[in-house]
Amino acid sequence: MSVRKLIEILEHTEREIKMGGGTRAIEEQHRKGRLTARERIDILFDKGTFVEVNMYSQHQCYDFGMEKKRPYGDGVITGYGNVNGRTVFVYAMDFTVLGGSIGLNNASKIAHAQRMSVKAKVPMIGLVDTSGARIQEGSGTYSLLFYEHIRSSGVIPQISCIMGTCAGGGCYSPALTDFIFMIDKTSEMYITGPRVIKEVCKEECTGEELGGPKVHSQISGVTDFVSKTEQECLDQLKKLLSFLPSNCDEKPPIVETGDDPNRRCEELADVVPNSPKAPFDMKKIVRAIADHGDFLEVKARFARNMITGFIRIGGYPAGIVANQSMVMAGSIDSDASDKAARFYRFCDCFNIPILTFADVPGYLPGVKEEHKGIIRHGAKMLYGYVEADVPKILIVVRKAYGGSWAAMGSKTMGADFAFAWPTAEMAIMGAEGAVEILYRKEILAAEDKDAARKEKIDEYRNTFNSPYLYAGKMVVDFLIRPQDTRAHLYKAIRLLWNKPQEKISRKHGNIPL
Amino acid sequence: MGQEILAPIAGKILQVFVSVGQTVSEDDQVVTMEAMKMENPILSPYEGVVKEIRVKVADEVKADQLLMIID
Repeated sequence: MSVRKLIEILEHTEREIKMGGGTRAIEEQHRKGRLTARERIDILFDKGTFVEVNMYSQHQCYDFGMEKKRPYGDGVITGYGNVNGRTVFVYAMDFTVLGGSIGLNNASKIAHAQRMSVKAKVPMIGLVDTSGARIQEGSGTYSLLFYEHIRSSGVIPQISCIMGTCAGGGCYSPALTDFIFMIDKTSEMYITGPRVIKEVCKEECTGEELGGPKVHSQISGVTDFVSKTEQECLDQLKKLLSFLPSNCDEKPPIVETGDDPNRRCEELADVVPNSPKAPFDMKKIVRAIADHGDFLEVKARFARNMITGFIRIGGYPAGIVANQSMVMAGSIDSDASDKAARFYRFCDCFNIPILTFADVPGYLPGVKEEHKGIIRHGAKMLYGYVEADVPKILIVVRKAYGGSWAAMGSKTMGADFAFAWPTAEMAIMGAEGAVEILYRKEILAAEDKDAARKEKIDEYRNTFNSPYLYAGKMVVDFLIRPQDTRAHLYKAIRLLWNKPQEKISRKHGNIPL
Repeated sequence: MGQEILAPIAGKILQVFVSVGQTVSEDDQVVTMEAMKMENPILSPYEGVVKEIRVKVADEVKADQLLMIID
């Protein structure tokens, strides 16, 4: 055969492989409102940059009639290319080929891609759309992915997009990555599906009720982002990547945003209400100080008493952890603590400065919360903050009380700078509670108990809760006008951008999980 | 059977914004509670019609206590 002919055969085969499971399977995928793996790859990568790796892989299974069905690619596409000019690796399960099922060989293919992404020191993106483990091949396949995810954790960013169903042990593959995206109406994730649950537990539920995007974004906290469509999901993914470095040895990109870093935020003078009892939306502050008001919120609908996400200030990226007084008075419960702790640790993995905005009355009291283990969960947040050696800046907006203050960071917890607004109230505990302990007898003995209590509360508040007191003790470094917050934070982040990392000689710490 | 709105935190009911039969959208404020010395807006996680209201102004409620049912 001529060399020209051999090349022609190669080209023909390649065209066939790119048709995936064929026209009918592609139509079926579209009918379900889903794109094919190749269409997703086309959206994700800059035009013409995608390089496919192991295109000709085939499963090595010769049981249950599988020997007659050995399509090239084996139901998973792997490769690399540019996303907004920066290299990332991807694996995309192709539902049109053998249902995107995961067997030994294509799990090895994904694992290989993952190892390559670590060698290249670039992020790994997983586009998950699978019918599950390939049962004709027996078990032991997902563990290949678990192993690589865990080995790469903290080395390169790993992000999973659940484009369809993700059931059984396969859920732990995305669960081991840094961020999970789900899509309205099409994504589902569960360890045991509705059929087994009905059989074993006698509980009836749909897949969506069990593990749809609403469940995982609001109740379980499994997912970080929910998108309306696949296109929106991939756009959000690109936006998330824009905040991240390619690996743990690089700094995140600084971009020219065209928003003046010294812009005064006049609206911030009126955000904190005059009444100390009134809640306010902390996100107004985050958006006001962010370049062009752009805030990429993470886990937006889970543990809403705690806000986490990414912004830029004068082009410099920052991770935000902030209390939301609109929800449960901004108190920290177990879920909020888990959410913030994980976010602290992610920012630390990838050299992203941490800004904390405090308006926190305390850890959430109650029998339920204590029994749930608020001690154990709350400890994670403290651990995560101190462990992080990126630039850490605290802004006390209003309340910062007791142990919950430490969870939001403080100088003694390793914050590099602490700012406070004139609205700040900081103390070991609230004035009302402190007065009941310190002046109980005096108040009981007083003729007008309410007046006596009020007098003592005011006295305590003026003496111990004032930000001037803490500025005097250098617990707070700056008392600032709210309007100047953005300009101050910009300067502080720039100042600390090359902060040295302190390595402690040990295998790793033992975070109270 | 309707969807239940529970108190997220222990506290006192300050205001009830809806009445039985009223239609609510997701994230509409249905109740204000006082807890942790703060006013706490309680938003409806569901869209639907208010079927039953189990609390009134000045009631003390526990965490997870049923506030109302949305159908």
